[in-house]
Amino acid sequence: MSHRTELYACLYAREFPAQALSRLRPKLREKPFVVMEGETPSQTVCSLNSKARNLGVVCGMTKVEIDTFPAIVTIARSLNEEDTTRAAVLECADGFSPRIEDRSDDHVLICVIDIAGTEKLFGPPQALAQNLLQHVRALGIAASVTVSSNFHAAICLARGGSRAAVSAIAPGDEGIALAPLPLAVLDLSEKHAETLSLWGIRTLGMLAALPERELVARMGEEGERLRRLAQGELSHLFVPLEPEFRLEEQMELDTPVELLDSLLFVIGVLLEQLVLRATARVLALASVTITLALEGGTSHTRTVRPALPTNDRQLWIKLLHLDLEAHPPQAAILSLVLTAEHGSTSKVQLGLFSPQLPEPMRLDVTLARIKAIVGEGCVGRPVLKDAHRPDSFSMEAFTISSLTPSKAIPTRTTPAMRQLRPAEGITVTLRHHQPVSFFFRDKGYVVEQAYGPWLAGGEWWNPTLWSLEQWDLVARSQDGTLLCCCLVCDLSQNIYQMVALYD
Amino acid sequence: MTDRYVELHAASAFSFLEGASQPEELIKRAVELDMPAMALLDRNGVYGSARFHTSAKRNGIRAHIGAETAVSCLGSRLKPPAWLPHQHIAEPVRLPLLCESRIGYQNLCQLVTQFKMREKSKVEGAASVDDLKQYASGLVCLTGGDEGPLAAALVKGGEEAGREIVERLVRIFGKDSVYVEVQRHHEREEEWRNQAAIRIAKSLKLPILATNGVRYATAYDREILDLFTAVRTHTDLDHAGRLLALNSQRHLRTTPEMEALFRDIPCAIENTSELSSRLQFELNDLGYEFPRYPVPDGETMDSFLRKRVAEGVMRRYGSKNDQDLLERAKKQVEHELTLIARLGFAGYFLIVWDMIQFCKRNDILIQGRGSAANSAVCYALEITAIDPVGMELLFERFLSDSRGEWPDIDLDLPSEDKREQAIQYVYQRYGELGAAMTANVITYRGKSAAREVGKALGFDQKSLGRLSSLVGNWEWRGKTDTMAHSFHSAGFDVKHPRIAKYLELCMRIQDLPRHLGQHSGGMVICQGQLNCVVPLERASMPGRTVVQWDKEDCSDLGIIKVDLLGLGMMAVLKDCIELIPQHYGEEIDLAQLPEDDEVYGVLQKADTVGMFQVESRAQMASLPRNNPTRFYDLVVQVAIIRPGPIVGNMMHPYMRRRQGREEITYPHPSLVPVLKRTLGVPLFQEQLLRMSMTVANFSGAEAEELRRAVGMRRSWERMKNLEVKLRAGMTVNEIDIKIQDSIVENISSFALYGFPESHAASFALIAYASAYFKVKYLAAFTCAILNNQPMGFYAPAVLVKDAQRHGLRVKPIDIQVSDWPCTIEHEIDGSLSLRMGLGYAKGLRRQSAEALVLSRSQGGLFRYAEDLALRVPLLNKKELTLLARIGALNRLDGIEHRRDALWQVERAGKPEGPLFRQRSDSLRDDTETLPLQQMNTEDRLVADYSGTGLTVGRHPMHYRRPELRREHVLTAQELKTAKDGEYVRAAGCVIARQRPGTAKGFIFLSMEDETGIANVIVTPDLYERERLLVTRSKFLLVEGPLQNQDGVVHVKAVWLKKLSDKALDLRSHDFH
Repeated sequence: MSHRTELYACLYAREFPAQALSRLRPKLREKPFVVMEGETPSQTVCSLNSKARNLGVVCGMTKVEIDTFPAIVTIARSLNEEDTTRAAVLECADGFSPRIEDRSDDHVLICVIDIAGTEKLFGPPQALAQNLLQHVRALGIAASVTVSSNFHAAICLARGGSRAAVSAIAPGDEGIALAPLPLAVLDLSEKHAETLSLWGIRTLGMLAALPERELVARMGEEGERLRRLAQGELSHLFVPLEPEFRLEEQMELDTPVELLDSLLFVIGVLLEQLVLRATARVLALASVTITLALEGGTSHTRTVRPALPTNDRQLWIKLLHLDLEAHPPQAAILSLVLTAEHGSTSKVQLGLFSPQLPEPMRLDVTLARIKAIVGEGCVGRPVLKDAHRPDSFSMEAFTISSLTPSKAIPTRTTPAMRQLRPAEGITVTLRHHQPVSFFFRDKGYVVEQAYGPWLAGGEWWNPTLWSLEQWDLVARSQDGTLLCCCLVCDLSQNIYQMVALYD
Repeated sequence: MTDRYVELHAASAFSFLEGASQPEELIKRAVELDMPAMALLDRNGVYGSARFHTSAKRNGIRAHIGAETAVSCLGSRLKPPAWLPHQHIAEPVRLPLLCESRIGYQNLCQLVTQFKMREKSKVEGAASVDDLKQYASGLVCLTGGDEGPLAAALVKGGEEAGREIVERLVRIFGKDSVYVEVQRHHEREEEWRNQAAIRIAKSLKLPILATNGVRYATAYDREILDLFTAVRTHTDLDHAGRLLALNSQRHLRTTPEMEALFRDIPCAIENTSELSSRLQFELNDLGYEFPRYPVPDGETMDSFLRKRVAEGVMRRYGSKNDQDLLERAKKQVEHELTLIARLGFAGYFLIVWDMIQFCKRNDILIQGRGSAANSAVCYALEITAIDPVGMELLFERFLSDSRGEWPDIDLDLPSEDKREQAIQYVYQRYGELGAAMTANVITYRGKSAAREVGKALGFDQKSLGRLSSLVGNWEWRGKTDTMAHSFHSAGFDVKHPRIAKYLELCMRIQDLPRHLGQHSGGMVICQGQLNCVVPLERASMPGRTVVQWDKEDCSDLGIIKVDLLGLGMMAVLKDCIELIPQHYGEEIDLAQLPEDDEVYGVLQKADTVGMFQVESRAQMASLPRNNPTRFYDLVVQVAIIRPGPIVGNMMHPYMRRRQGREEITYPHPSLVPVLKRTLGVPLFQEQLLRMSMTVANFSGAEAEELRRAVGMRRSWERMKNLEVKLRAGMTVNEIDIKIQDSIVENISSFALYGFPESHAASFALIAYASAYFKVKYLAAFTCAILNNQPMGFYAPAVLVKDAQRHGLRVKPIDIQVSDWPCTIEHEIDGSLSLRMGLGYAKGLRRQSAEALVLSRSQGGLFRYAEDLALRVPLLNKKELTLLARIGALNRLDGIEHRRDALWQVERAGKPEGPLFRQRSDSLRDDTETLPLQQMNTEDRLVADYSGTGLTVGRHPMHYRRPELRREHVLTAQELKTAKDGEYVRAAGCVIARQRPGTAKGFIFLSMEDETGIANVIVTPDLYERERLLVTRSKFLLVEGPLQNQDGVVHVKAVWLKKLSDKALDLRSHDFH
């Protein structure tokens, strides 16, 4: 492609976060409104409409500052809506040329469309631009289009905020057209921006007029690049958008399905496709998410993630089967979507002399089976927590420890204790706040010796605060049996429980 | 059982984050529990003991002193077993030691000092067994709770190891001085250790002692201890786990409670009162001796002092040719010397005299202030510069027979270097163990509390920053300024339990100590024995040691101290004294400055920018009213603008009386002689003393105690007692209740900040000197003040503009001329001008600047930019750019303007290989043309302010004047001639914002334009409406009626507007 045939149209939509939100909320446009981003309560304005700007709002203001203005609507930023809007705009641009480069930044949508050779289809560039704008306007987005035979010149002109909705630079006039634009239209590094501002260079024209050799002596290659950019002469290697590689398959079912087995058959077919597509790119499936659309308009989503990425279809079916069995959908299934994340197909190389380990895939299946029976949070290994609360522990996934096993802890001979799980409720008679007798497992006991109370409590800063009183008791029943036990009273509820028996 | 339980193992918040109650709180609780005595054992020191002792004395209970001392060779502290997850780190065990006698106390101090000073920096440290052996006598050792050696040994090696460790302690401290300690906090683990301890005690025939290992006064305060634990271990409460307390049992308990707990070993309780009666030592038996000064043979300290004073009297008074004054001085000196001899203070005066001599020898300007200026002896010894005889000052405010405290002398030194030199001299002269700085206890205040509590509750960084920034800096707390309100307006839900808890905890930890710092200048000196009086430790600043008490503690315990304070203005005066003879050819004697009408004229007009103590907005507003015409008026002026007098509604009466608008009256006829000098309005502390002595028959000591009580935050209790006494005294003297009320109000409101007259006189002297220099030697004064920044009320930009308005030519930084400091230049017409120093180029390193000056003095002027870059390789590109930008390179060849310079340094500053560097010409561009345009005015102003913080060119407001004129905006100068009540518009650059706590929410702005400074008052209402404008804008346009009364001009703003969108980044001083 020769230089002369290049032609680009740059579609530019400012305040994109605000536009994306107001697009589907026509009432919003009539009022001043701002889009806030950040975590509550430290949100700041990231975008706004012109009504709000006229009131004096600027980007970066905090919630408190906004509150000082009357009648401004605040709305949280929605990246999802921006993505859909962006997709819609790109799709619209796609109608004019398949070659599109997305140069959007955080708050502005910029896409450059290669329109070389489209005259016969859409007429002269101006007409195409008008046409494009009309389509975009129909989407509810206000934008402008700049046309230039230089890629960067088109973007600079768009950023420069030309008044007309469509502006075009005649080939060869790039330098003149760009000259009055401020330097801010270039993506300058902080360092270069500072240097140029110190030099009093404010416009592209001033930058373009700097002597080339001397500029290179001061700013190096980057100086040259910026100068050519300012002159509208910098060439560009076009990087068109490519459709994303998405592992997704879906199927509408002819009739609502209630039985899992018949569903598995369909899943198998879809999985085969996914595996095939992944294998073609030398990838493996790392996780599979199944989304079932159910009768009554609800949906049911489950994700399965084995220890290693795999393309073993049978394994996937087994895992999905187990998972769905454990978490069955609550209504008949109308359609299903299978999406997968891909991972590398690497294999684990085991040491020659290391002991034989169970095959990871089979272990996954086994664990999934167990989980399906006992529940998610109940599989793994229990780990004691660093906390005073008795019996506080958490479950961790099984891991292969690389550490050498710790030495056995020498134990002293101490009386054995049988912890009762769950603790058993008992009735206790107290005298002077001390237990004197109690009923346990239908038997009355008289306390002979009481040690305690042992007091513990904590988490006073949380709603989970707790406070316990423990007693170690030696008690005798009427038939003479001796019972050594540990009693706990939850002080917040005043409930006594038997928690352990001593041998 | 009749014996009452005595808590012998308690720690206060002075165990820094390991205790949760103030010593006073512990005492208060002990009194409530009817405990006859109590011991305080803080971690590695006696930090809280002075306050503990003072409070105990006041409440009539005995305070035993001791410390939990870390010992490195007795194992490490008990930790949870290895199989339990925990975050405990290894720490040495701590041995509780109690002082039985004064010897014991001195040994404890020496022991702590020994291991603290062994460290090279400020760390906890630990004693060795040898240290213990060396200093064991007079100390009683307990075996400790879970922090102690017995618990550690029992867990590690069982009962056998436990017995061994106790035997070891017995060998160190003796059989009679070891008690096996048992604590019961309702913890299972603790109980088996107790049982083992009891068996060990029985087998070794040692007494058992019950304690509760107290860490807080009441059970509720356990929360604070947990919070502190999280702070100390740098974690948050949710993740602190087992580091936190298991329960809340470490509080003070009653005798019946303890008896019930230790039913099985009643002797453990009996032993507490027995041991308590054994512990004879209390802190009032400190054994502190006044410092001695080495005198030549045949002399006593008194005779030596007498001779030095006699010499001084002749030097000071002899030259004045006033026989009567001389006689009076001799008489006064005699009176003072007799008292000094009787009290045994000669050594102290000689030590201070010696310091003064050192400073004079080393060319360090030094001047005493504070109550010492009441003393003719101090004047004769050249410690102070105020003549107390001539000014009829009250010596008793400094020293009197009946006063229960020792005099302290405050010395002002030119800031930092010189002060450090003087401090190091004291260390060197009195030895490392003979002198130390007093401590400054850093306590939790609004911001620090907000930050650390937030961190402990696990708030994220961002919220934390906002939370702590919410804690207002402004002095005034308006109706909407409560913490809860600011939280609410920042978007926090105050009803949320965690936020509510946060607020509560913030309040509860206010004023609790966090760590120990050093006081800026307070030194205690004790002839090589200071470590017997109080433990010393390293300060975080190298070469400094600090005692474990703050200055109030030292003063409560009668330890003499000297304050060496840095005072920026002293450095300015010192520089002036050097510059004036050099450039004006006139010799200056600071002690003999003439009273000058021109100087008073300037003061009367409140044209006082840069002058010491009289430059603030409030001072400026009152100077025209006070209309000073002699030195004593200035003394009053310095004292009058204080928060105290304003609260007490006393400033205006004085001013009105001064202007003859109000009749001079006295609260009571008996007070006429006391208040005559200040027109019936009490202004000075001396007057307070005399008032209470006159109306309520207070003794000198009582009067002084009253003054001290009102001056201290933590003595409300004392104050209340004294008020009762004061009223009783007045009733005896048949003074009407109404008059009593007004006298009490006078006393309590102004004594808080009121100056002693002598102190005001010392300050007034410096104020007058600064005014004199500014009026007479503007170039020297401006040069000196610019070279000693930061100091005072105004930024350098304001000082420069003010000097220019007074006719001084100020020239910009120029690499061909400027030195690091600002300098004075002689113009062809004989006038003097000021050259800005390279030090004002923000971001230029001092070493680069010095290399530049050196190269210039050796190799002559620089030729062009490349020459500069080549000859001063230390200058990096950033610095070259900076110099080019502020116009410092404009006098190099081939440079027409700043942009030329910028263009050239961009090339010259590029790093080149050494070969290229050899030929500087090769770096030059081939073409001669310089492509950049000259900076416009705005560019230049921006460059000046961002590069130097000031401009020597015209004031930014000058450029907007035509436009402002069209809008009928008056200049600061024009405002002065406008009529009172006229509706005016004014504009300027905001150079200071103030919201004094005493002004009921009013905000005072000072706005500068090219003609001067205008004052603006913003009402609370307007502030509420225009918060952002008032607090953020640099340039403001205000509208409102003018107040022009007695030469004091204010615009009372009713409307505000931000003046410029392109606000320059000027720095204003906000005094919140």
